[in-house]
Formats: sequence, structure tokens, C-alpha cells
Amino acid sequence: MNRTLIALTVLLSATACGDDNTQVTSQQFDDVEVIQGYVDNVMVPKYDLHAQNASALSVAVDAFIAEPTQVRLEAAQEAWRAARAPWELSETSLFGPVDVHGYDPALDSWPLNLVDLNTVLGESGELSQADFEALDVSLKGFHAVELLLFGPDGTRDVTSLSARELSYLSLAAKDIAKVAGLLSTSWTGGDAPYATVFRTAGEQGNTTYPSRFSAAQEITTGMAGILDEVANGKIADPYNERDQTLVESPFSFNSKLDFANNVRGAKTAYLGDFELAQKDGRGLSDWVAERDSALDTRIQAEFDTAIAAIEAIPAPFRDSILDDASRPKIKAAIDAINVVKDSVESDLQPMLRGE
Amino acid sequence: MRFFGAVLAIGLMGCGADETTPTLVAAGGLTTVDEASSHAFTLPAPNLDEEGLDLHLSGDIAFEAQFVTGPAEINPGLGPLFNNNSCNACHLRNGRGVPTVGGAALRSHMLVRVSLADGEIDPMAGGTAHPDYGFQIQDHANYGVEPEAKLEIIWEEVKGTYADGVEYSLRKPNLVLRKPDGSVVENTLTSLRQAPPVFGLGLLEEVPESLLMELADPDDKNNDGISGRPNQVWSKSLSKIVMGRFGWKSNQPDLYQQSASAYVGDMGVGSPGYPDANGDVEIEKEIVESAAFYARSLAVPSSRLSSARGRKLFKSAGCDACHTPVLSTGASKWEFLADQEFAPYTDLLLHDMGEGLADGRPDYEATGSEWRTSPLWGIGLTQTVAPGATYLHDGRARTIAEAILWHGGEGEASSTKFKEFSAADRTELLAFVNSL
Repeated sequence: MNRTLIALTVLLSATACGDDNTQVTSQQFDDVEVIQGYVDNVMVPKYDLHAQNASALSVAVDAFIAEPTQVRLEAAQEAWRAARAPWELSETSLFGPVDVHGYDPALDSWPLNLVDLNTVLGESGELSQADFEALDVSLKGFHAVELLLFGPDGTRDVTSLSARELSYLSLAAKDIAKVAGLLSTSWTGGDAPYATVFRTAGEQGNTTYPSRFSAAQEITTGMAGILDEVANGKIADPYNERDQTLVESPFSFNSKLDFANNVRGAKTAYLGDFELAQKDGRGLSDWVAERDSALDTRIQAEFDTAIAAIEAIPAPFRDSILDDASRPKIKAAIDAINVVKDSVESDLQPMLRGE
Repeated sequence: MRFFGAVLAIGLMGCGADETTPTLVAAGGLTTVDEASSHAFTLPAPNLDEEGLDLHLSGDIAFEAQFVTGPAEINPGLGPLFNNNSCNACHLRNGRGVPTVGGAALRSHMLVRVSLADGEIDPMAGGTAHPDYGFQIQDHANYGVEPEAKLEIIWEEVKGTYADGVEYSLRKPNLVLRKPDGSVVENTLTSLRQAPPVFGLGLLEEVPESLLMELADPDDKNNDGISGRPNQVWSKSLSKIVMGRFGWKSNQPDLYQQSASAYVGDMGVGSPGYPDANGDVEIEKEIVESAAFYARSLAVPSSRLSSARGRKLFKSAGCDACHTPVLSTGASKWEFLADQEFAPYTDLLLHDMGEGLADGRPDYEATGSEWRTSPLWGIGLTQTVAPGATYLHDGRARTIAEAILWHGGEGEASSTKFKEFSAADRTELLAFVNSL
């Protein structure tokens, strides 16, 4: 959803001679280490952590069900947040298998189909694995587990869940773990691991990413896209409409963390690092710094300002949108995220094109 | 078939005869963007004005909105019967889907159109409605409601050999429709369909009818074996028969009707004039308009470099007889679409594609073996946008080569030439198509 894009570029990139059909010019991005680093240090560890944390969520949920204490409920809620974090961090790069195999809707369908979910939960009798599997994905995923763990108003009482709700919770958490595992494996396992497709960008025979520039475009358009979505969608829509029903992750009051993690995800994409897994490699940031270190410094600072601005919004977000004292801080966060987005589109992307 | 003039405006770059610019005509005219990533089909036309961009962005929200069973605070109206719950759940990242069917956990990106072989034809629907299912099978339903049928595809491999002895294998879907009680639906014409890409549609909507009529040659007066003709379909807004433009058999006249029909047919979401199975209207006209405008105003990704030889082979195999490289728009109420040349590689006309591809299900004027020429713009980005996405109306072709090999009927001569090409030439031709 870029607002500023350059038209009519057909003639721009056609400067290379020779018979190798590539579009590489001397200034255009062509850095193999950055692209491979993006796979090895960002994408793969992010999905790996996601799968690990999703499994831990399922374990924590089952521990709570085995012994429904406040301590175990809170542990399960924390496990939900921990599983949610790498997913939000990965939304800067929703390319590859995540869409085609339905992993995204299976994990993150929003809004929940509450009418159907409440009907299912209100029925009597045991809920079998087969019953659960027959249900639509809009009754499952992070937000279904969130609703059950946190309650519709964020104040889940330990004793308030019925046996059927508990078994649903268990199955839904297991389902998240299963899907997160499949997503992680789609990058690293099977006949055609997607890690290989992206790592080999620009190599002979790679028609998915015929140049390393196209792979860099994948990274940066993803960054601009998620920054735009957070600033001008996830935050601005409920803010402008003063409408709490439009708020993401409302049951857990996790909205602010979701937003900040979306922006942090774009930052990891830029840096080529993934701190949560102690990964630190060559990224776009390094490539930019070699050409214009002031620009790199500025973009990094803009990211930090945007994240700080989100954190400065008084919690919970869904109340702040209605609070006149808090609203200026929300507006400041929207503006700060748009500053980074504009730098990605107006400075970073032209530099990658060799302009 | 008459050729539209100035179609192959090739610009040689002057540094070796083997490399050319894609064409002098940008793929999407002034709506072109230079984006070769998975976002290639998701960007707004760069020449939208502020108001147009705002409408596009609200259309983007409409296109992504996931509907749920009502009553609900957000997006109520799904069902009672449906195929999927949002536009982009089938049009993955605005491109093609993967041909998987069945199972709730993965809602299919495909659907099945149905009708009866005999009976009175509904002039406003182009066929005879099935008494139980209407014109489309909805294989999903709200909780507690029985879906109409379950789809099962049994793939059949069909072996073949290129002239040089290299073997290939094509696959053909055999569709089984089962009622909820497990019995097979019989005596029904069926057509399996996958979701097509939705970018660039505004330009196609604005091609003057007169230009398409110039391309048409229903009686093959020029004896080239190609006899394109437009479909003639019912326009709800004009209450009369007009030229069809959209859909695999060109059975929709405009983007509004296409979108409203998809809302109600694919999601069970009723809009004014298009109520759902319960007679309910769940979204306002403005929502349909914004979704239609979204498709109308999506940018077209630019073509990429390829060899001059690939382009020559495309022409020498006669591909461009139907995949007309360049079309143009005339005056338009949408300023960003007016008076442009662009390169969609389609003539928007129906052609007989032979028995192999036939669905045997007529749709308005389109016979059971006629299909609308699919645009080729952006086709080389299909796997980048959605790895594993497939080609042709029912997603049977796993690769572009397979799609070419399936061409029969009016396309037979071209696919035969492709089979006779050397391996090197086949590679060149495919590289050209992939550059679009």
C-alpha cells in the first residue's frame, strides 16, 4: 500500500548489456550476504522461535487445565504473549508459504467468528479432535486462545471456564503449535524449502527472485507495508473512528505490544539481526551505511523513535483512543511510524535501485 | 482475425541484438509500477489522485475484510453458505490461488459452477439453474448449517512427448461432488474454477467495445484458424445484454457486477440487488463499490527484460493471435485510466480451446469449450506472489509450459509449434512469458 511509487520504470532498469537477461547495474543492490543473512539470521530463526514458543504455549495451557490456578493461568497468558511476539515480528515478511498453505488465517484470523464459536462452546458433550478439526479457521488461532485465556474483557477468572471451553482451549493451542511448526518447516524442510528459494535470489534458474535486487525489494516493500498497516490501519482506524471494536488483540490488552513488535519486525528486517535469537549478521543497514552512513544512522534512529512513541501511548490502547489526554500520544506514534515508512520509500528503496 | 495496429513496438536497446526493452508500451500504461516482489499485485496505481487513493485504500480494507456469522460487531454477514470468508482468501495477494479443496482448516481457493444441461435458460444468468444449488456450489457453511456439497479432486496424469523426445506429464482434474449424505451429485454440468488475479482490471474495463469488435472474427473470415468473439451477457445495472469482459468465460460485464456477484456467491454476503440465500442484504452498495474500485485501481507490475528471440518465438508460434500484446483505453470517467496504451496480452474474447480444456458447461454465448483469453501481464511473478499457485481456469497447470501444452482448438497450432521447438527455444519462449 505504498502511497509513493514510481511509474513507468520499464525504461529505467534496462541498461545492462550482454545476454544474461539480468537487470543488474553497477549501483543497483546486488549483495549476496545481505540476502542470505536475511534468511539465516532473520526469517529462519524468527519462525523457529515462533514454533518453539507456540509449543510452549500449548504446554502451558495444558498445565493450566491440569491444575487451574491463578499462577498457571498467568503463566499460560505469558506464554500466549511469547508465542504472539515472533508472529508479530514476522508480519514484515508475509511472503512465501505463509499465505498459500493457509497458515496466516489459521493463526491470525480476525475478527473471530464469535457467533459460531460461542455456539460450539455452548454445546454439551465432549469436544473431540475430529470435531475441532472440522471447524472453520475463523474459530481458531491466536485470537480464539486469547479470548479463552484472557476473557472477553481481559479479566478471565480461573474457575469460569467450562469443561468444554477447557478442551477447546487445549485443542486450539495445540493447533497453533502444529501450524507454527508447519510454517517453520516450510522454510527449512521438505523438497523445496523456501529458505533455498530466497537464498539463491539472482542465481541462474531462479525465476522467483531473478535478481538480488528483487529479493531486497521483497524485504523493503514488506517493511513499508507493515509500517503503513500499523500506522495508518491498526492504530489510525480505531483512533480516527474512536471505535474499540477495531482494536487488534483486545482481549489481552496486547495491542501496544503487537504494534511495537510489528515495527521491531521491520527494524530486524532492516538490520539483518534477530536479537531474540542472538543473531547478528550483515543486513541492509550495513549496505546502506557503506554508501551513506548518515542515512543509516537516521533510519535506525527513526525506528527507535517510532517504537518509543508506541510505548508512550498510555495502556490499554483500546481505552486511550477514547481519552482526550491520551489521543495526542497516539497521533504522535502514527506520525513517528510514518516518518520511518517515508524514509524506506523515499530514501532506502531509491538507493537499492541505484538511483 | 485482424491485428490491432502497432502491437509490437519493440525497442532495441542498441547493445547487442539479443536484448530488448520489454516493449515500448508499459504493461499497465500509467498505472505501471516497478515491483517484482510478492507485493507486485498489491500496490495502488501510482497515478491516482488523493481522492482516488483514499477510495483505493478503503477498497483495500474491504478486499481484506474477513466476514463472520452475524450478528457481530465487525463484518457480519458470512453465509449461511459460502466458499470463503474474504476476497483475498482466494485471490491470494491479489493473484492466483492453489488448487486445494475440501477441509475446513484450509478453505479452498476454488469453487465449482453448476447448471443443468436441459431446461429453460435464464436470460439474466446465461444458463439453467440447478434446482438445489443454483449456479454455484458452496462447500462451506456457518456452524450448524449443512454445506451444499463437498468437493473432491482426483488428479489424473496425462503423459506426452515433445518433438525432441523429451517427455512431459500433464494433470487433469476429475471432480467428484458429494452431497452431505455421501452420495454423488449427478446429472449436473460442473466447472471447476480457481480465482484469477485482480490487478489491472480497470484498464480492461475501459477498453472501448469498438476496439474489441475489431479484434473479433467470429466466422474466421481471414482463415487463420482463430475466431475470437465476445460473450454477450446480462448487465444488471443497464438491464440489457452487453459485452462480457470478466471471468473465465467472460460472463460478467463490469467490475461492480463481478464484485457484487462474488460477495453473494462466494461469501454469502448480500448487497443491494444481490441478496443472499436468506434474502438478507448485509453490506451497503458503497462497500461493493470500494472493492470494485480496489481491483480497478491496482497497479500493474512492469515487465522485465527478456531476449528478443523469446519474443519472436511467441509471435512465430502465433501466441499473439489471441494474447494480443497491446490494447488501449479511450475516454474514461476515471482519469487515471483514460487514453492509455498498455500491454495485457489478451483480446478479452472467447476462443474454442478444444476438448482437453472443455468444461462442457455453456455460459451465455460461451460454449462448453470456449474460454476467454487470459491476460499474461504479471504471469512471471505468479510464483513470487504465491509459491505453488497454478494456471488455467481449474488450476491444472503447475507450470506455464503445462498451460501452453493444454492449448487445443484455436490454440492447437500454437501448442504444436511449442512442442516442435528445440529445448533451447522452449526455454527462450518461457523466459519471455515469464518476463511479462
